[in-house]
Amino acid sequence: MATALNVPPATTTTTLPQMKKEEEKVDYLNLPCPIPYEEIHREALMSLKPELFEGMRFDFTKGLNQKFSLSHSVFMGPMEIPSQSSETIKIPTAHYEFGANFIDPKLMLFGRILTDGRLNARVKGDLTENLSLKANAQLTNEPHMSHGMVSFDYKGKDYRTQFQLGNGALFGANYIQSVTPHLSFGGEVFWAGQHRKSGIGYAARYNTDKMVATGQVASTGLVALSYVQKVSEKVSLASDLMYNYMSKDVTASFGYDYILRQCRLRGKIDSNGCVAAFLEERLNMGLNFILSSELDHRKKDYKFGFGLTVGE
Amino acid sequence: MTDSVVSVEKLKAFVHSQYYDEEKWALNSKLLRAVGLFAGSIFLMRNYGDLMAI
Repeated sequence: MATALNVPPATTTTTLPQMKKEEEKVDYLNLPCPIPYEEIHREALMSLKPELFEGMRFDFTKGLNQKFSLSHSVFMGPMEIPSQSSETIKIPTAHYEFGANFIDPKLMLFGRILTDGRLNARVKGDLTENLSLKANAQLTNEPHMSHGMVSFDYKGKDYRTQFQLGNGALFGANYIQSVTPHLSFGGEVFWAGQHRKSGIGYAARYNTDKMVATGQVASTGLVALSYVQKVSEKVSLASDLMYNYMSKDVTASFGYDYILRQCRLRGKIDSNGCVAAFLEERLNMGLNFILSSELDHRKKDYKFGFGLTVGE
Repeated sequence: MTDSVVSVEKLKAFVHSQYYDEEKWALNSKLLRAVGLFAGSIFLMRNYGDLMAI
């Protein structure tokens, strides 16, 4: 019996040092491909920035065949107008939006048109296995308010690079590289000819199975840090800090994200005294009920919204 | 000894300028509150995050 008890520990002590050696030896020529530069804060954005709205929202999506679908969307509620003073100006609006989507593994087309005359269009296509094209445009009736942008993304073995062209002589480029299996660094430059502005920025991302930490600094004065902790398969906690040293504005927020079978609940609290929550409840197959609330105690601005989404 | 006294004087002058100036303190209090919320939430998430699991 004593010998039987002794045998298992002997085998584990010989395998453990071997495992540790494998973990320590990183193959720097086979690093994973990093996520795109613009999605570096992806986890934090998904948890902390749900699409909060005020009023009533109804979305209906009808699939005509496997690749093509139409969508109808009605919104009624106050829209905030940016104002110079601290008072928020809200104007009640109602609009209907008609949309068409074509989704193919190699090509995606989205078009939306609103009753106030605005048109949104997006194209995403794979030109080759590693090169893809993205384009989007927003056209309006008002002069000088329409804009469009085209970007070319190249995915390398352990890096990604993107080149963007926009109207108003807007040029941008970014590059992100995996440095270790968990760490990646990136940088971007942009030049806006119309406004005679240019800028440069750097970003870093460290992720493991349990957490993601990102940091971004830009010459426009932006410092953005975020941290997401994946507590379990269903629960994540996230925190972020945004500081703009040009406009002297700083905001930190802390939030939770519960993804359950029948619902998804996200809530957050801000350093500006703003508390928000967003609930998507699956009532039935293809039928979702949405509740949104945002309470800004500092400005005494309380927004509540409800909606229904029909279709996948 | 004199070097450390000089740097303590500079530190005092710095703290005075940041704390007693109304405008700067308005920004600094926001910055302290935001950084405190960010760092405190990271500390809580890393150490007590498992309590929030379902």
